[in-house]
Parts: sequence; structure tokens; C-alpha cells
Amino acid sequence: MEKRLIKKETLAGIVGELAGKMRVCAPMKAEDQVLFRILEAGEKPLVDFANTKNAPKNFLFPRTETLLKFTRTGKGMVRAGEPEEGEKTLLFGVRPCDARSFTLLDMLFDQEKYKDPYYIDKRAKTTIVAIACVHPPYTTCFCTSVGGSPVDSVGVDLLLTDLGNEYLAEFLTPKGEELLAAFGGSPAGAEAEKAKEGIAARAAGEIASHIPAHEIKPILDTHFEDPFWNTLHQKCLACGTCTYLCPTCHCFDISDEVKRDDGIRIRNWDSCMFPMFTKETSGHNPRSSQKERWRQRVMHKFRYYPDNFNAIACVGCGRCVMACPVNLDIRKIVTDIAKI
Amino acid sequence: MENVEKKLREEAKGLLAEKKVDVVVGYEKGTLPLTATPCFITTPEEADRLVWNPFCVLNLAKFVHDLLDQHHEAQKRVKPEARRKKVVGVVARGCTSRSLVIQLQEKQYGKDEIVILGVPCGGYLDGKKLAALAGGEEVREGALSEGKIVVKTVSGERQAALKDLLADNCLVCHFNQPVIADIQTGEVAPVAEAEKEYDPVTAFENLPPEARWAYFEKEMAKCIRCTACRNVCPSCYCRICFAEQSQPRWVDIGADASDTQLFQLMRMYHMVGRCVDCGSCTAVCPMGVDLRKFLKKLDKDAFEMFGHRAGVSLEEPAPLGAYRETDGEEFIFEPKAGG
Repeated sequence: MEKRLIKKETLAGIVGELAGKMRVCAPMKAEDQVLFRILEAGEKPLVDFANTKNAPKNFLFPRTETLLKFTRTGKGMVRAGEPEEGEKTLLFGVRPCDARSFTLLDMLFDQEKYKDPYYIDKRAKTTIVAIACVHPPYTTCFCTSVGGSPVDSVGVDLLLTDLGNEYLAEFLTPKGEELLAAFGGSPAGAEAEKAKEGIAARAAGEIASHIPAHEIKPILDTHFEDPFWNTLHQKCLACGTCTYLCPTCHCFDISDEVKRDDGIRIRNWDSCMFPMFTKETSGHNPRSSQKERWRQRVMHKFRYYPDNFNAIACVGCGRCVMACPVNLDIRKIVTDIAKI
Repeated sequence: MENVEKKLREEAKGLLAEKKVDVVVGYEKGTLPLTATPCFITTPEEADRLVWNPFCVLNLAKFVHDLLDQHHEAQKRVKPEARRKKVVGVVARGCTSRSLVIQLQEKQYGKDEIVILGVPCGGYLDGKKLAALAGGEEVREGALSEGKIVVKTVSGERQAALKDLLADNCLVCHFNQPVIADIQTGEVAPVAEAEKEYDPVTAFENLPPEARWAYFEKEMAKCIRCTACRNVCPSCYCRICFAEQSQPRWVDIGADASDTQLFQLMRMYHMVGRCVDCGSCTAVCPMGVDLRKFLKKLDKDAFEMFGHRAGVSLEEPAPLGAYRETDGEEFIFEPKAGG
């Protein structure tokens, strides 16, 4: 693995220059928020930010994507072209938690039994450049409780760690190494390595939120019916804020949109928090209230995903904690379940 | 405020102990600094969790409606002789009480099914203004004392007067006291600058149509269709929202800009004469969409054309729900520019 030192002040410019050559998605200021968006050629991304309001999953698993096109003919509906293929993309400024979320999405969309060609195509064409959290950006961060860490390199192609005046750039994968020429820099020695180790230990120690995420699996296994679920959901608005901002939530709905003779079949984000999510054509809804929907959300992340893929479907970014309009705090929920 | 909180807890305790209510919907301390969150108190012992302070943001009438609606539905499956009444106690400020009035007017439940614990209100803390005070950094700690908000962020301590951080709707509120209440817990809070209520709308109306439309498009482009605005709104209680109807399908679920615009436009038009400007939709929006600008315009129209303020009295129905011979019709025959 190649390791380089890159002068801090040059980083935004390097990425801005790349934006002229390929599709670059990066954190940018949007009024009072920081959001991922596609950069214009030469546009410099933010390099000094806490984390983005939205998760970067939109670039691999878009909120809406076309699966196929069709048109009406004398012989009925026929296919009228395939969706556009994914573009080579650089996803810059991802935090280690969010980079890890892609490996969790891979487990589902790119498994032995089922392959999702739309996701796999975009994933293969996307290079992930992550910026390690030298200081955890929020007190609500809990990555260390769910298997991550502030300087984690899981799911990352090129990891940048701020050493003070320079970034330590670790080109971790062949995709990352393709960026060697663009990023330049000077070879990094053992000293930089040591500095990074120090940062890693200190940053992990600075994580302020800890939850018993692994401990609740056996409790969930045996407490599908428990009075705990009766009150948990009471204040939930049944909006999709938590699931739409979550880097690992991946449920979708497919619908057709037709204008005169031409139509598209689109896949859209859906949310287990929505009453419509499981509503059947007959009108029957197997998850008839928000109680069942909340139980599903918790079970999916902390029981079914571990059952299916041996991993918790949460990376501890804390977005849902900060954005939930009624302060339904997943940290408290998991802690409360551990007490059952 | 401490006295109000103390009285509130006592009253809630009493109501629950005497079984006059099944549940009290109120606010408790949140898990993040300077927040309070809705809570459901069902035993006298839990009543001490109740708080009343400027961090209590959401309009609780939404929860009252949902609890009673669910109860009514559940009772349909019970033999008539075995049916029971559920009574919901609710902590209500001015805007919450107005939403309760609207729900009562619209016959969602009977007055005997609710007990209103009225609280005086001096306004609530605006999330965006607090974030601006913190310079976009995370608020790690926060405190309110003697009308001052002090926050600690990673780069240090900052402070501001609470009145400078109140939500815009609170700054121009006419209703610092509930319009109806069964129990009053405190004194009249100072009245805000209510006469300036429609100033920002008037300024917006004076912009050229292109500029207004551009603003609408810009704001709607932020929307991720999480529907938090609709779901928190006490006046938005349709069992099946038009946005989810499939025969016909009014709004598609994709990310097409026109679908999002239509969803918001139609939702807002359902609010004419029914919006109490509680600010909950704006407060819950994760993307910071300025919904209030448009809702306030509709509110202004309802006020100017029909002299109506939503939910002010049980006797006065919403303008679009009643007919009067004196109803204006100029807006049909002689529409004003900007009207």
C-alpha cells in the first residue's frame, strides 16, 4: 500500500481539478447545511466540516432511479431502452462511518444469492475518498459501539488523516491507487504512521456516546412480544427523516410513471416508518400500527442483519439522533432494550 | 416558568390519580441539550417528568387527535355495551389550544374527551437560530438562565438573549394564552409584536412573480418528501392523504421536482383558515424548507378576506367550511396582482 503526505492547503484544489475530469461528489455548503452534491469543474469541496446532513448513499442507491423504459405499440407495451449506465465517480469527503455503510449495503445488494445490477454497477465505478475523524465531530457519534472507529478504513479506497500541516494519504485499494498521480505528495515515513496511531487512539477515546449494540441481539431474539414495544413508538410522527438520512437504510419501492405512450419503471427510497410501507392491495396491513413499524426498524438493524450478514446495520453516525423531530433517540432505545 | 411547571405536574398528578384522564400528553426533557420532547404520562408517579420551558416546540394537538382517533377505531370492534370512553389530557399553549378548537369544530372528538391543561407561552427556541448562534457547530452543552441562552461548542462558549432566538412565529404571536383551557397553570406571558405578523408576507407579495416562483422552487428543491411536516401538523389528519392515494394517483413518489412542488402546494392549500402558525412543520423539517412563508400567505388571505383567525373560537367556523352572504368575491372577479 502506498502512503503519501499531502500538504493541507492543496487538498481542496486537487479535488477541484479532478472535478473537471470526472464526476466528483463532495460535501458543500448549502445555506446553513452541509450536503453532498456533484461539483462543477474546478469547484473546491469543503475539507473542514463535521459531517454532512445527508448520507452519501444517494450516489450508489439514488432516491429515484430508472430501472427500465417502455413504450406503447400496436402490440402492447415493449421495452424502449435501458437506463443510463453509471459514470465513473469520485466520492470525496466521506467520513469513516459512512464509508463503512457501503460495505453493509454490499452485503445486501451484492450477495451470492441476489445481485442488484444497478447498485453493483455504480459501486464498481465509484472511488471512496474518506477523511478520518481526528476528533469525533459530534457528541452523538457512537461508531465504536457498532464496530467502527473514527479512523476506520473499512470501505475506503483512499483514507486521508489530518496530521496537522499535512494529510497522511493511504492508497488502500487499486481504485485508490489510480488517484496517486492526481494527489501527488511526498512519501510518508514511519513518523507519520506513528502520528496516525496516536490520533486513532485519542479519537476513539473522545467518542462520548456508547451503546450496548451487541448485547441486545439475544434480548431481541426472545422479546418480539414485550411490553417495551407498546410505548416506544408513541411520539413517533411516522415521517421518514431517520430512514432517509440513514446511511444504511435501503428499503425501496418500485413504481411505473407513464406519460402518454412512454413510461419508466423507477425505484424509489421507501421507509419502514411509513404506514403505506407494508400496506397490501387488499387494504390489509400486517404492520398495522407504528408499534410494529418501530419494532421492525430496531429488529432489522440489530437482529435480522446480524442473523443474515453477521453485522449490525448501523454505523453510529448519529444523524437520526440529531434530526429526529421528536427526539426518538436510538441510543436511548438500545440502552433501554439492554435493561429488559 | 418553574411555577407553571410545578403547577402542571400537580394538576396532571391529580387528574391521573382521580382517573379523570387516561393519559396526559406533555413534554419531558430531551436527550440533546436545550430540547424537550413529547411524552405520554399514564400514572401519577410519572407526572414529575413533565416540563414546561422554551424548548417545548411541537404542537401536541396532533397526538391528541391520533390517540382519540385510534381509540374510536378500536372501539368499533367492541360490543356497544362494552365500549369505554378515553379521556386525553393535554398540555396546551396558545397555538396548541387553537388546533384543539379546529379539531373540535371539525368534530374529530368531543369536548368531554379532552382535558386542556393551559400553559402561558412566551415563545419557543428556534432550532435554526440556535444553530446559527453555535456557528454551525454542534451544541454540546446548553443552559437557559435569566433570559439568556448559553451554549458550549467545540470552539468555545457563546451566548444570546432568548428573545433573539425565539421562532419567527412566536415573535408575532397573538396568543400567549390558550384560547380555551380546563385548567390554567400560570399568568399571562408578555405579548409579542403581533402587529408585525404579516410584514414579511407583504414584503414577499411585493416581489415580482418570477422572484416568488424562484423562491418557491428553491425551497421545494430541498424537500426530501419525508412528510414530517404533514405528519406533525394537527390540521393534517386525513386517514389517507391525497399524496398516498393511488386511484387516481395525484402525486408520484419519485424525486421529480413537480411532484414535490405539487405535494407541498396541495397540502398547504388544505390549510387555508386551518393553520394556527404553530411553526411545527418548519421546526421538524430536516432540510430547513421555509414552509411558513407560504402558509403565512394563505393565513393572511384568510384574515384579510374573511376576517378569520384559525381556531380562535369554537363558534366561528373556518371560512372555507361555511357560507356567509357577506363573503367576499373580489378575488374571483377582480384578482389583485400578488393576491
